[in-house]
Amino acid sequence: MAKEKSDLLYGTLDMLILRALQHDPRHGLAIADRIHQISQDALRVEQGSLYPALYRLEAQGWIKAEWGLSDNNRKARFYRLTAKGRKQLAAELEHWARIAAGINRVLAHA
Amino acid sequence: MSGLASWWRRMGGLFRKGRTDREINDEMEQHLERLTERYCAEGMSPEEARNAARREFGGLEQMKEAARGERILMWPAEFLQDIRYGMRTLAKNPGFTIVAVAALALGIGANTAIFSVVNSVLLRPLPFKEPNQLVMVWDEQTHLGFPKDTPTPANFLDWQRQNSVFAGMAAMAQRSYNLTGNGEPERLDGRRVSANLFDLLGIQPQLGRNFRPEEDTPGTHVVILSRGLWERRFAADPRIIGRAISLNGESYIVVGVMPAALELPRMMSDWREQLWVPLAFSLTEAAARSSHYLEVIARMKPGVTLQQAQTEMSTIAARLAQQYPADNTRVGAAVTPLREEFVGEIRPALLILLGAVAFVLLIACANVANLLLARAAVRQKEIALRLALGATRSRLVRQFLTESLLLAAAGCAVGLFLALLGLDVLKKSIPATIALAQGIAIDGKVLGFTAFVGLFTGLVFGLAPVAQASRFNLNENLKEGARGASVGARGNRLRSLLVIGEVAVSFLLLIGAGLLINSFIHLRNLDPGFNPDHVLTAKVELSAIKYPTKEKRSAFFQEVVRRVQTRPGVQSVGVGNNLPLTYDGDSFAIGVEGRPDPPFDQRPDVVLRVVGPGYFNTMQIPLVKGRDFTDADRDEAAPVVVISEKAAAHYWPSQDPIGKRLKPGSAAENTPWRTVIGVVKDVRQNDFIKQPKPQMYWSYHQVRDFPANALVIRTQVAPLSLAASVRNVIWSVDKDQPVSEIRTMSDIVSQAVARQRFSMLLLGLFAGLALLLAAVGIYGVMSYSVVQRTREIGIRMALGAQKRDVLGMTLRHGLQLVAIGVVIGIAGAVGLTRLMASLLFGVSATDPGTFAAITIILAVVALLASYIPAMRSMKVDPVIALRYQ
Repeated sequence: MAKEKSDLLYGTLDMLILRALQHDPRHGLAIADRIHQISQDALRVEQGSLYPALYRLEAQGWIKAEWGLSDNNRKARFYRLTAKGRKQLAAELEHWARIAAGINRVLAHA
Repeated sequence: MSGLASWWRRMGGLFRKGRTDREINDEMEQHLERLTERYCAEGMSPEEARNAARREFGGLEQMKEAARGERILMWPAEFLQDIRYGMRTLAKNPGFTIVAVAALALGIGANTAIFSVVNSVLLRPLPFKEPNQLVMVWDEQTHLGFPKDTPTPANFLDWQRQNSVFAGMAAMAQRSYNLTGNGEPERLDGRRVSANLFDLLGIQPQLGRNFRPEEDTPGTHVVILSRGLWERRFAADPRIIGRAISLNGESYIVVGVMPAALELPRMMSDWREQLWVPLAFSLTEAAARSSHYLEVIARMKPGVTLQQAQTEMSTIAARLAQQYPADNTRVGAAVTPLREEFVGEIRPALLILLGAVAFVLLIACANVANLLLARAAVRQKEIALRLALGATRSRLVRQFLTESLLLAAAGCAVGLFLALLGLDVLKKSIPATIALAQGIAIDGKVLGFTAFVGLFTGLVFGLAPVAQASRFNLNENLKEGARGASVGARGNRLRSLLVIGEVAVSFLLLIGAGLLINSFIHLRNLDPGFNPDHVLTAKVELSAIKYPTKEKRSAFFQEVVRRVQTRPGVQSVGVGNNLPLTYDGDSFAIGVEGRPDPPFDQRPDVVLRVVGPGYFNTMQIPLVKGRDFTDADRDEAAPVVVISEKAAAHYWPSQDPIGKRLKPGSAAENTPWRTVIGVVKDVRQNDFIKQPKPQMYWSYHQVRDFPANALVIRTQVAPLSLAASVRNVIWSVDKDQPVSEIRTMSDIVSQAVARQRFSMLLLGLFAGLALLLAAVGIYGVMSYSVVQRTREIGIRMALGAQKRDVLGMTLRHGLQLVAIGVVIGIAGAVGLTRLMASLLFGVSATDPGTFAAITIILAVVALLASYIPAMRSMKVDPVIALRYQ
């Protein structure tokens, strides 16, 4: 869809979500906010990609969802990382580091 | 995650759908609320905040759909939804729906009807026990033109004794019986059969018993009745078993009644036997080695192949040929599957018809695909809306396929109904010469076939709009004025291809039909050698008990002729046996006075007919030379003969045959010479299609062994109007004399080409249907393209184009498509019509006249079909057209 131009590099969204959940469980909006904030406004997660990604990750068994109460005492669905998710995150981080290093080297020396 | 596990998980999701859907909804609502609050906090009004949140959030429904797609297998639930939606859409467009369903119903109905014929005639096992083991065995005399000659009694008995491949052999011989007492006298077709025949076939009588082996001897008078005769003549009385009935003046004890469906192979297509008696060879008959009149059925032992049976029978035949050189030289044995006997001749025609209806269905599919394409173009707005509202592409594809399958299902239902109607008509018009046709019905196999055809067609024509929908570009279609130009171009190409295909296929069918019609005209224009117009015929089979001598028979017939002659409306009357085209009859080799007999296998058969004075005159068989018989030709010691031109040319090529003498068998035989008194034109006696064989006629006053059994009456009024009066005249001479098969000679001739007429009519019907569907297809495409090009046409006219130019442009477009279709059709036809060579008569499979005529017909129809839309294009008002978009 024309509207959905992603600011994210294709395939990195899953990794970013996993990373955002690494320490604390969060609900959807909080995940988007967290990514936005850590990247210092550089990355913006479209909701249109966020929820499908969340369900996908849940289906893979990497994250788990539970209903809970948000900071302002509203009902919200919180996602937290599973053990399997942690392993996946580690694998993706390592993969990313390798790629990024490679890209950096090319950019530095080409 | 493996595919299977993923599928399993989604299946789980299906059953939890209610909860999951709610959860997704809840979660997204929460998200929206929080965003709204945030914007509110930033100082927006609640309404602005809500809108901003929605904008940021994007298409809510679409996201739900996408999220759901990740979680669960939606198909079954969505499928029901699709069906409901599809039904609503179809109901909203009754015009489209009716046309599409009608086209499909015609195609599917024709397929179902023809397949049910093929199913019962070609596919269903024969109604006998282990039918694949059953064969027929023939005397093989290919050199005389009889590759499958009816065996002689002596040969049959030798085969029976000497073979080791058959578990059993049985013979049958046709004989007719006069049933008297208990109501009107009646002549019945019947058969003498070996006592073991019914056991061999595995048929049990529904009442009473089969024949016993000891009843297969002369002098036992027992009879088994057909169910029809039992119900008609004996009121279905179960006490008939053990009672005596009178056949040919003798008393026979009824021992059984056969079930209704019994159908035995028969060499005469209109032989409808109603009773059976044991074969019971007399000693003389059992020794006969030159009279061919049996039909022999055998059951191969388990494990014996047709080839093995043939090899052994050939060995036995070769041995018999050495043993009995006088009769059996060059007489072989041929073993053929029993099924061949039932369906051998009709199979090619049926298969071609099956191919034809498949083509009709293809054209119907193309038409519906065309309609769907045109509609898809109209539905672009709807599609755009659904995409915008969150439908995924695969979901749309499924929706389209569901609609197509709904159409196909409706087509199936209506088609089945049409097939039921059509089968009724078909069963009535199917010629009696097609065996096993009684069993034609729509059974499980036919229903399965129809369902398969429906599913297949639904997928075939459903794919066209799907191909388009999956390429659909949302942006372009939402833009005002773009009106889906790209889809239009692609759609037009697809539609043009469909029209070309339709034209090509209907061309093929039309050629096939044209060739058959042409063949049929050739057939009907054949000169049968007599004039069948205004001739009434009747079968009068005299009982051998009541009329034992030829003198008594002559007296009877002379009296009948004398009395019929005086009836008003009668022009002339003749007596004969075995009317032309009803029975192969008897044929002999002949010996000629003053010439040595040529070797046995080099003497052609001469067909014999026994007639009375006035027969040639009544039938209008022209006398070429000499004179007709008179009632004075009755001296048995000095018999006379009339021969056909072909016989004259063969035996006396450069002499006048009048006065020459011949005798049946060979010149050496001790029988009186027959003097040739006349020569008549050749008559198509046995087979309407093949060239007539040499023929001779004897006077019935001079023949002991071949009783006359038929009357021919040339009338000045409609022949059948004299039927009752002729019957009454005969009964005034002998009140117990059965009269049967009162019909016109024209009827007999048309019966002889019934199968050809049947194939021609059906193929003609299907070709007509194809032409109609193709015309509708061309019309539809042309109309649509005119509507699409309204603006273009408007511009052209505004720029000065004349109406004539516009008309020409539109017509040219239509004719281009047709021309391409015809060229492809011609190429296909040249390849395919060779397959129907066996059905053709007097025309070649690539008959240029037929090809030219069909091309013209198709071009005219195509021109008409594109003319109406083209006329409409001419009426385009440039001002309105330019404002139109």
